[in-house]
Amino acid sequence: MKKTNKQRSKWPFIITLIIFLFITAFILSAIISIFSMDVKDIGSNVAQIPIKGVIAAESSQDIFGMGVVSSTDIVQQIKKAEKNPTIKAIILEINSPGGSAVASDEIGTALKKVNKTKVAWIREVGASGGYWIASSSDHIIANKMSITGSIGVIGSYLEFAGLISDYNVTYRRLVSGKYKDMGSPFKEMTPKEESIFTKKLDTIHEIFINEVAINRGLSKEEMKRVSEAEFYLGTEALDLKLIDELGGKEEVIAHLEKELGEEVKIVEYKKKKTFFDILGDVFSYQSFFIGKGIGSEMFSKKRLVNEIDIIV
Amino acid sequence: MNLKLPKKRSVKGPASIWKRIFAFIIDFFILNYIIFFPLKKHIIQIQATSYSEIMELTNNSEITLKITLVFFVASFLAIIYFTVLEKKFGQSVGKMLLNINVISDMKQMKIWQLLVRNMFLVPIFPFILLWIIDPIFMIANKEKKRLSEILSKTRVIENYSY
Repeated sequence: MKKTNKQRSKWPFIITLIIFLFITAFILSAIISIFSMDVKDIGSNVAQIPIKGVIAAESSQDIFGMGVVSSTDIVQQIKKAEKNPTIKAIILEINSPGGSAVASDEIGTALKKVNKTKVAWIREVGASGGYWIASSSDHIIANKMSITGSIGVIGSYLEFAGLISDYNVTYRRLVSGKYKDMGSPFKEMTPKEESIFTKKLDTIHEIFINEVAINRGLSKEEMKRVSEAEFYLGTEALDLKLIDELGGKEEVIAHLEKELGEEVKIVEYKKKKTFFDILGDVFSYQSFFIGKGIGSEMFSKKRLVNEIDIIV
Repeated sequence: MNLKLPKKRSVKGPASIWKRIFAFIIDFFILNYIIFFPLKKHIIQIQATSYSEIMELTNNSEITLKITLVFFVASFLAIIYFTVLEKKFGQSVGKMLLNINVISDMKQMKIWQLLVRNMFLVPIFPFILLWIIDPIFMIANKEKKRLSEILSKTRVIENYSY
Protein backbone atom coordinates (compact mmCIF):
# COMPACT_ATOMS: atom_id res chain seq x y z
CA MET A 1 0.00 0.00 0.00
CA LYS A 2 1.46 3.36 -0.94
CA LYS A 3 2.15 5.69 1.89
CA THR A 4 -0.14 8.64 2.08
CA ASN A 5 1.24 12.15 2.08
CA LYS A 6 0.36 12.42 5.76
CA GLN A 7 2.44 9.33 6.63
CA ARG A 8 5.38 10.55 4.56
CA SER A 9 5.32 13.99 6.13
CA LYS A 10 5.70 12.63 9.69
CA TRP A 11 9.42 11.95 9.54
CA PRO A 12 10.70 15.48 8.76
CA PHE A 13 8.77 16.77 11.77
CA ILE A 14 10.05 13.96 13.99
CA ILE A 15 13.64 14.50 12.92
CA THR A 16 13.30 18.24 13.49
CA LEU A 17 11.92 17.62 16.96
CA ILE A 18 14.74 15.19 17.81
CA ILE A 19 17.38 17.68 16.64
CA PHE A 20 15.69 20.46 18.61
CA LEU A 21 15.65 18.33 21.79
CA PHE A 22 19.28 17.31 21.25
CA ILE A 23 20.45 20.91 20.89
CA THR A 24 18.33 22.01 23.84
CA ALA A 25 19.86 19.24 25.97
CA PHE A 26 23.36 20.43 25.06
CA ILE A 27 22.53 24.06 25.86
CA LEU A 28 20.92 23.15 29.17
CA SER A 29 23.89 20.92 30.00
CA ALA A 30 26.21 23.88 29.40
CA ILE A 31 24.04 26.09 31.60
CA ILE A 32 24.14 23.48 34.38
CA SER A 33 27.96 23.44 34.07
CA ILE A 34 28.12 27.19 34.45
CA PHE A 35 25.77 27.48 37.40
CA SER A 36 26.74 24.42 39.39
CA MET A 37 30.02 23.28 40.86
CA ASP A 38 32.01 20.49 39.32
CA VAL A 39 31.19 17.58 41.60
CA LYS A 40 34.67 16.09 41.59
CA ASP A 41 36.11 19.27 43.05
CA ILE A 42 33.85 19.33 46.03
CA GLY A 43 35.66 18.48 49.23
CA SER A 44 39.00 17.91 47.48
CA ASN A 45 42.04 19.95 48.37
CA VAL A 46 44.75 18.28 46.27
CA ALA A 47 44.83 17.97 42.49
CA GLN A 48 46.65 14.98 41.03
CA ILE A 49 47.80 15.49 37.46
CA PRO A 50 49.07 12.37 35.68
CA ILE A 51 51.97 12.68 33.29
CA LYS A 52 52.20 9.28 31.68
CA GLY A 53 53.99 8.63 28.44
CA VAL A 54 56.20 10.51 26.06
CA ILE A 55 55.96 14.29 26.43
CA ALA A 56 55.06 16.28 23.36
CA ALA A 57 53.46 19.62 22.63
CA GLU A 58 50.44 17.98 21.00
CA SER A 59 49.29 14.40 21.34
CA SER A 60 48.96 13.88 17.59
CA GLN A 61 52.73 13.80 17.19
CA ASP A 62 52.80 10.17 18.23
CA ILE A 63 52.38 7.65 15.45
CA PHE A 64 49.60 5.88 17.24
CA GLY A 65 48.16 8.96 18.91
CA MET A 66 48.39 7.05 22.18
CA GLY A 67 50.80 7.01 25.16
CA VAL A 68 51.70 10.64 24.53
CA VAL A 69 51.26 13.43 27.03
CA SER A 70 50.37 16.77 25.57
CA SER A 71 52.00 19.71 27.33
CA THR A 72 49.06 21.84 26.21
CA ASP A 73 46.69 19.61 28.16
CA ILE A 74 48.95 19.41 31.22
CA VAL A 75 49.44 23.18 31.36
CA GLN A 76 45.67 23.56 31.13
CA GLN A 77 45.17 21.23 34.09
CA ILE A 78 47.87 23.05 36.09
CA LYS A 79 46.14 26.38 35.45
CA LYS A 80 42.79 24.88 36.39
CA ALA A 81 44.23 23.63 39.69
CA GLU A 82 45.81 27.01 40.28
CA LYS A 83 42.54 28.88 39.78
CA ASN A 84 40.52 26.58 42.02
CA PRO A 85 40.57 28.11 45.51
CA THR A 86 39.77 24.79 47.19
CA ILE A 87 42.88 23.14 45.75
CA LYS A 88 45.86 23.74 48.02
CA ALA A 89 48.44 21.44 46.48
CA ILE A 90 49.29 19.66 43.24
CA ILE A 91 50.66 16.16 42.83
CA LEU A 92 52.35 15.36 39.54
CA GLU A 93 52.16 11.64 39.02
CA ILE A 94 55.07 11.09 36.63
CA ASN A 95 55.68 7.95 34.62
CA SER A 96 57.49 9.34 31.60
CA PRO A 97 60.80 8.64 29.85
CA GLY A 98 60.87 12.22 28.60
CA GLY A 99 60.16 13.72 25.22
CA SER A 100 60.23 17.12 23.61
CA ALA A 101 62.46 19.72 25.27
CA VAL A 102 60.00 22.48 24.48
CA ALA A 103 57.02 20.59 25.86
CA SER A 104 58.91 19.68 29.06
CA ASP A 105 59.91 23.30 29.55
CA GLU A 106 56.35 24.48 29.00
CA ILE A 107 55.09 22.24 31.77
CA GLY A 108 58.00 23.09 34.09
CA THR A 109 57.49 26.81 33.60
CA ALA A 110 53.74 26.61 34.18
CA LEU A 111 54.34 24.60 37.34
CA LYS A 112 56.84 27.07 38.78
CA LYS A 113 54.33 29.90 38.38
CA VAL A 114 51.83 28.14 40.67
CA ASN A 115 51.93 29.47 44.20
CA LYS A 116 50.80 26.24 45.83
CA THR A 117 52.58 23.19 47.23
CA LYS A 118 53.76 20.93 44.41
CA VAL A 119 54.93 17.37 44.82
CA ALA A 120 56.33 15.22 42.04
CA TRP A 121 55.69 11.53 42.50
CA ILE A 122 57.89 9.47 40.19
CA ARG A 123 56.57 6.00 39.47
CA GLU A 124 58.55 3.63 37.22
CA VAL A 125 60.27 6.29 35.12
CA GLY A 126 60.79 10.01 35.55
CA ALA A 127 63.76 10.54 33.32
CA SER A 128 64.99 13.25 31.02
CA GLY A 129 62.02 15.52 30.25
CA GLY A 130 60.05 13.71 32.95
CA TYR A 131 62.75 14.64 35.44
CA TRP A 132 62.84 18.21 34.10
CA ILE A 133 59.20 18.54 35.08
CA ALA A 134 59.72 16.82 38.44
CA SER A 135 62.56 19.19 39.30
CA SER A 136 60.14 22.12 38.90
CA SER A 137 58.19 20.94 41.93
CA ASP A 138 58.90 21.59 45.62
CA HIS A 139 59.43 18.01 46.65
CA ILE A 140 60.24 14.86 44.68
CA ILE A 141 59.32 11.40 45.88
CA ALA A 142 60.38 8.31 43.92
CA ASN A 143 60.49 4.59 44.46
CA LYS A 144 63.93 3.17 45.31
CA MET A 145 63.94 1.48 41.91
CA SER A 146 62.45 4.32 39.86
CA ILE A 147 64.50 5.37 36.89
CA THR A 148 65.31 9.04 36.94
CA GLY A 149 67.97 11.50 35.93
CA SER A 150 69.13 11.13 32.32
CA ILE A 151 69.86 14.85 32.16
CA GLY A 152 70.87 14.94 28.54
CA VAL A 153 69.66 15.55 25.01
CA ILE A 154 69.36 13.20 22.05
CA GLY A 155 68.78 13.98 18.41
CA SER A 156 69.87 10.72 16.78
CA TYR A 157 68.24 9.47 13.63
CA LEU A 158 68.70 6.74 11.04
CA GLU A 159 70.73 7.74 8.01
CA PHE A 160 69.76 5.90 4.84
CA ALA A 161 72.28 7.41 2.46
CA GLY A 162 74.24 4.14 2.19
CA LEU A 163 71.13 2.02 1.78
CA ILE A 164 69.60 4.08 -1.02
CA SER A 165 72.96 4.18 -2.76
CA ASP A 166 73.08 0.34 -2.65
CA TYR A 167 69.78 0.30 -4.48
CA ASN A 168 70.95 2.78 -7.07
CA VAL A 169 68.62 5.45 -5.81
CA THR A 170 69.83 9.02 -6.07
CA TYR A 171 69.12 11.78 -3.63
CA ARG A 172 68.54 14.77 -5.90
CA ARG A 173 69.60 17.71 -3.78
CA LEU A 174 67.67 20.88 -4.62
CA VAL A 175 68.04 23.42 -1.90
CA SER A 176 68.44 27.10 -1.52
CA GLY A 177 70.51 27.72 1.59
CA LYS A 178 73.49 25.53 2.40
CA TYR A 179 72.08 23.88 5.51
CA LYS A 180 68.47 23.61 4.39
CA ASP A 181 68.53 19.81 4.16
CA MET A 182 70.75 19.38 7.19
CA GLY A 183 69.51 16.31 9.01
CA SER A 184 67.92 14.72 5.97
CA PRO A 185 68.11 10.93 6.36
CA PHE A 186 68.77 10.54 2.64
CA LYS A 187 72.19 12.08 2.62
CA GLU A 188 75.35 11.72 4.59
CA MET A 189 75.78 14.35 7.28
CA THR A 190 78.90 16.42 6.70
CA PRO A 191 81.34 17.11 9.56
CA LYS A 192 80.32 20.77 9.49
CA GLU A 193 76.63 19.89 9.77
CA GLU A 194 77.39 17.49 12.59
CA SER A 195 79.27 20.23 14.39
CA ILE A 196 76.31 22.62 14.01
CA PHE A 197 73.88 20.01 15.29
CA THR A 198 76.04 19.11 18.22
CA LYS A 199 76.30 22.77 19.19
CA LYS A 200 72.47 23.01 19.21
CA LEU A 201 72.21 19.89 21.36
CA ASP A 202 74.85 21.27 23.71
CA THR A 203 72.89 24.52 24.03
CA ILE A 204 69.71 22.65 24.95
CA HIS A 205 71.72 20.49 27.33
CA GLU A 206 73.08 23.61 29.00
CA ILE A 207 69.57 24.98 29.42
CA PHE A 208 68.42 21.66 30.88
CA ILE A 209 71.34 21.55 33.33
CA ASN A 210 70.78 25.14 34.44
CA GLU A 211 67.07 24.52 34.99
CA VAL A 212 67.74 21.52 37.19
CA ALA A 213 70.51 23.31 39.07
CA ILE A 214 68.21 26.25 39.86
CA ASN A 215 65.20 24.06 40.66
CA ARG A 216 67.13 21.72 42.93
CA GLY A 217 69.56 24.26 44.35
CA LEU A 218 72.55 22.18 43.28
CA SER A 219 76.08 23.53 43.14
CA LYS A 220 78.25 23.39 40.02
CA GLU A 221 80.16 20.39 41.33
CA GLU A 222 76.95 18.56 42.17
CA MET A 223 75.52 19.29 38.74
CA LYS A 224 78.69 18.18 37.01
CA ARG A 225 78.28 14.71 38.53
CA VAL A 226 74.82 14.30 37.05
CA SER A 227 75.19 16.07 33.69
CA GLU A 228 76.49 13.11 31.69
CA ALA A 229 72.91 11.96 30.98
CA GLU A 230 73.30 8.87 33.10
CA PHE A 231 70.07 7.50 34.49
CA TYR A 232 69.85 6.73 38.17
CA LEU A 233 67.77 4.50 40.34
CA GLY A 234 65.80 6.11 43.13
CA THR A 235 68.35 5.27 45.80
CA GLU A 236 71.18 6.73 43.71
CA ALA A 237 69.13 9.83 42.87
CA LEU A 238 68.53 10.44 46.58
CA ASP A 239 72.28 10.40 47.27
CA LEU A 240 72.85 12.81 44.39
CA LYS A 241 70.12 15.17 45.70
CA LEU A 242 68.09 14.73 42.56
CA ILE A 243 65.11 13.62 44.63
CA ASP A 244 64.01 14.35 48.21
CA GLU A 245 62.48 11.17 49.46
CA LEU A 246 62.00 7.51 48.67
CA GLY A 247 58.47 6.19 48.75
CA GLY A 248 55.14 5.93 47.04
CA LYS A 249 51.67 7.39 47.32
CA GLU A 250 51.51 6.98 51.08
CA GLU A 251 54.63 9.07 51.48
CA VAL A 252 53.21 11.67 49.10
CA ILE A 253 50.04 11.93 51.17
CA ALA A 254 51.99 12.03 54.43
CA HIS A 255 54.20 14.81 53.10
CA LEU A 256 51.21 16.85 51.93
CA GLU A 257 49.32 16.39 55.18
CA LYS A 258 52.38 17.65 57.03
CA GLU A 259 52.73 20.64 54.67
CA LEU A 260 49.07 21.58 54.57
CA GLY A 261 48.27 20.69 58.18
CA GLU A 262 45.02 19.03 57.16
CA GLU A 263 43.65 15.79 55.75
CA VAL A 264 44.33 15.31 52.10
CA LYS A 265 41.53 14.55 49.65
CA ILE A 266 42.79 13.97 46.15
CA VAL A 267 40.95 14.62 42.91
CA GLU A 268 42.41 13.64 39.57
CA TYR A 269 42.76 16.41 37.03
CA LYS A 270 43.09 15.14 33.53
CA LYS A 271 41.64 15.83 30.17
CA LYS A 272 38.72 13.55 29.71
CA LYS A 273 38.65 11.73 26.42
CA THR A 274 35.27 11.87 24.81
CA PHE A 275 34.05 9.20 22.48
CA PHE A 276 34.99 11.43 19.57
CA ASP A 277 38.54 11.96 20.93
CA ILE A 278 39.06 8.22 21.10
CA LEU A 279 37.61 7.83 17.63
CA GLY A 280 39.93 10.60 16.41
CA ASP A 281 42.95 8.90 17.97
CA VAL A 282 42.10 5.66 16.26
CA PHE A 283 41.55 7.23 12.87
CA SER A 284 44.21 9.90 13.16
CA TYR A 285 46.53 10.85 10.34
CA GLN A 286 49.37 8.70 11.61
CA SER A 287 47.13 5.66 12.14
CA PHE A 288 46.06 5.84 8.51
CA PHE A 289 49.70 5.61 7.44
CA ILE A 290 50.30 2.56 9.56
CA GLY A 291 48.44 0.67 6.87
CA LYS A 292 50.78 2.09 4.27
CA GLY A 293 53.78 1.06 6.27
CA ILE A 294 55.61 2.81 9.08
CA GLY A 295 58.51 3.31 6.68
CA SER A 296 56.50 5.41 4.23
CA GLU A 297 55.27 7.61 7.09
CA MET A 298 58.86 8.19 8.19
CA PHE A 299 59.70 9.40 4.71
CA SER A 300 56.59 11.43 4.11
CA LYS A 301 57.03 14.98 2.84
CA LYS A 302 56.77 16.73 6.15
CA ARG A 303 59.67 14.73 7.57
CA LEU A 304 62.04 15.10 4.62
CA VAL A 305 64.31 17.84 5.81
CA ASN A 306 65.08 19.48 9.13
CA GLU A 307 62.69 17.13 10.88
CA ILE A 308 65.06 15.62 13.42
CA ASP A 309 63.37 15.29 16.78
CA ILE A 310 65.38 16.68 19.63
CA ILE A 311 64.42 14.81 22.72
CA VAL A 312 65.33 15.28 26.34
CA MET B 1 -14.31 -14.95 -12.70
CA ASN B 2 -14.93 -12.31 -10.10
CA LEU B 3 -14.89 -13.91 -6.68
CA LYS B 4 -16.86 -11.92 -4.18
CA LEU B 5 -14.67 -12.46 -1.20
CA PRO B 6 -15.58 -10.80 2.09
CA LYS B 7 -13.65 -7.55 2.68
CA LYS B 8 -10.90 -7.53 5.24
CA ARG B 9 -12.23 -5.95 8.39
CA SER B 10 -10.42 -4.32 11.22
CA VAL B 11 -11.41 -3.27 14.66
CA LYS B 12 -9.65 -1.04 17.15
CA GLY B 13 -8.88 -2.52 20.52
CA PRO B 14 -6.51 -2.09 23.45
CA ALA B 15 -2.92 -2.43 22.31
CA SER B 16 -1.08 -5.53 23.45
CA ILE B 17 1.06 -5.04 26.52
CA TRP B 18 4.15 -6.42 24.77
CA LYS B 19 3.79 -3.92 21.95
CA ARG B 20 3.49 -1.11 24.45
CA ILE B 21 6.57 -2.30 26.35
CA PHE B 22 8.64 -2.60 23.19
CA ALA B 23 7.43 0.79 21.98
CA PHE B 24 8.54 2.30 25.29
CA ILE B 25 11.94 0.60 25.01
CA ILE B 26 12.41 2.06 21.53
CA ASP B 27 11.44 5.52 22.77
CA PHE B 28 13.76 5.18 25.74
CA PHE B 29 16.59 4.17 23.41
CA ILE B 30 15.99 7.31 21.34
CA LEU B 31 15.79 9.50 24.45
CA ASN B 32 19.04 7.98 25.68
CA TYR B 33 20.84 9.49 22.72
CA ILE B 34 19.07 12.80 22.40
CA ILE B 35 18.79 13.66 26.09
CA PHE B 36 21.12 11.51 28.20
CA PHE B 37 24.11 11.76 25.89
CA PRO B 38 24.42 15.57 26.23
CA LEU B 39 23.87 15.25 29.99
CA LYS B 40 26.25 12.29 30.36
CA LYS B 41 29.05 14.40 31.82
CA HIS B 42 26.83 15.44 34.70
CA ILE B 43 25.24 12.02 35.18
CA ILE B 44 28.67 10.37 35.50
CA GLN B 45 29.68 12.87 38.16
CA ILE B 46 26.65 12.26 40.33
CA GLN B 47 26.85 8.47 40.21
CA ALA B 48 27.49 6.90 43.58
CA THR B 49 28.81 3.37 43.98
CA SER B 50 28.55 3.04 47.73
CA TYR B 51 26.39 4.16 50.63
CA SER B 52 29.08 6.54 51.87
CA GLU B 53 29.30 8.17 48.45
CA ILE B 54 25.53 8.61 48.39
CA MET B 55 25.67 10.27 51.83
CA GLU B 56 28.51 12.52 50.70
CA LEU B 57 26.69 13.54 47.55
CA THR B 58 23.35 14.20 49.18
CA ASN B 59 24.77 16.03 52.21
CA ASN B 60 26.16 18.72 49.97
CA SER B 61 23.61 21.28 48.86
CA GLU B 62 25.58 22.14 45.70
CA ILE B 63 25.54 18.53 44.58
CA THR B 64 21.88 18.11 45.46
CA LEU B 65 21.10 21.13 43.32
CA LYS B 66 23.07 19.63 40.44
CA ILE B 67 21.26 16.28 40.76
CA THR B 68 17.91 18.09 40.80
CA LEU B 69 18.77 20.19 37.75
CA VAL B 70 19.98 17.21 35.73
CA PHE B 71 16.90 15.11 36.46
CA PHE B 72 14.49 17.95 35.81
CA VAL B 73 16.14 18.81 32.49
CA ALA B 74 16.02 15.17 31.40
CA SER B 75 12.38 14.70 32.38
CA PHE B 76 11.33 18.06 30.90
CA LEU B 77 12.78 17.11 27.52
CA ALA B 78 11.32 13.60 27.67
CA ILE B 79 7.87 15.01 28.43
CA ILE B 80 8.17 17.38 25.47
CA TYR B 81 9.12 14.45 23.22
CA PHE B 82 6.07 12.36 24.16
CA THR B 83 3.62 15.26 24.42
CA VAL B 84 4.46 16.88 21.08
CA LEU B 85 4.49 13.64 19.11
CA GLU B 86 1.33 12.23 20.69
CA LYS B 87 -0.48 15.52 20.14
CA LYS B 88 0.60 15.82 16.52
CA PHE B 89 0.43 12.21 15.39
CA GLY B 90 -1.16 10.31 18.23
CA GLN B 91 2.01 8.26 18.52
CA SER B 92 5.64 8.52 19.57
CA VAL B 93 8.36 6.98 17.37
CA GLY B 94 8.22 3.68 19.25
CA LYS B 95 4.45 3.49 18.90
CA MET B 96 4.74 4.42 15.22
CA LEU B 97 7.06 1.55 14.57
CA LEU B 98 4.75 -0.87 16.38
CA ASN B 99 1.61 0.59 14.85
CA ILE B 100 -0.17 1.55 18.03
CA ASN B 101 -1.85 4.86 18.77
CA VAL B 102 -2.86 7.06 21.64
CA ILE B 103 -6.44 8.31 21.50
CA SER B 104 -8.57 10.42 23.77
CA ASP B 105 -11.77 9.20 25.40
CA MET B 106 -13.10 12.71 24.89
CA LYS B 107 -13.85 14.37 21.58
CA GLN B 108 -10.40 15.85 21.08
CA MET B 109 -6.97 15.21 22.56
CA LYS B 110 -6.05 18.07 24.85
CA ILE B 111 -2.58 19.03 26.08
CA TRP B 112 -3.46 18.47 29.75
CA GLN B 113 -4.39 14.88 28.92
CA LEU B 114 -0.97 14.24 27.39
CA LEU B 115 0.80 15.90 30.31
CA VAL B 116 -1.13 13.81 32.81
CA ARG B 117 -0.53 10.54 30.95
CA ASN B 118 3.22 11.33 30.88
CA MET B 119 3.55 12.54 34.45
CA PHE B 120 5.41 9.35 35.41
CA LEU B 121 8.42 11.11 33.89
CA VAL B 122 8.42 13.83 36.56
CA PRO B 123 11.31 12.93 38.89
CA ILE B 124 9.73 13.78 42.21
CA PHE B 125 7.59 12.03 44.76
CA PRO B 126 4.78 10.99 44.31
CA PHE B 127 5.06 10.83 40.50
CA ILE B 128 7.98 8.47 40.70
CA LEU B 129 5.66 5.90 42.27
CA LEU B 130 3.86 5.69 38.91
CA TRP B 131 6.78 3.62 37.62
CA ILE B 132 5.44 0.86 39.89
CA ILE B 133 1.73 1.69 40.01
CA ASP B 134 1.19 2.16 36.26
CA PRO B 135 2.44 -1.29 35.18
CA ILE B 136 0.40 -2.94 37.95
CA PHE B 137 -2.72 -1.16 36.75
CA MET B 138 -1.95 -2.03 33.15
CA ILE B 139 -1.68 -5.72 33.93
CA ALA B 140 -4.64 -5.87 36.31
CA ASN B 141 -6.90 -3.60 34.28
CA LYS B 142 -9.32 -5.18 31.79
CA GLU B 143 -8.75 -2.40 29.29
CA LYS B 144 -4.98 -2.54 29.89
CA LYS B 145 -4.94 1.09 30.98
CA ARG B 146 -2.31 2.61 33.21
CA LEU B 147 -3.43 4.73 36.14
CA SER B 148 -2.10 7.80 34.29
CA GLU B 149 -4.30 6.88 31.33
CA ILE B 150 -7.36 6.46 33.50
CA LEU B 151 -6.74 9.91 35.01
CA SER B 152 -6.00 11.51 31.64
CA LYS B 153 -8.88 9.76 29.86
CA THR B 154 -6.64 8.40 27.12
CA ARG B 155 -5.92 4.92 25.88
CA VAL B 156 -3.49 3.13 23.60
CA ILE B 157 -5.07 1.18 20.80
CA GLU B 158 -4.11 -0.91 17.81
CA ASN B 159 -5.91 -2.16 14.75
CA TYR B 160 -6.88 -5.79 14.85
CA SER B 161 -7.61 -7.17 11.35
CA TYR B 162 -9.79 -10.18 10.70
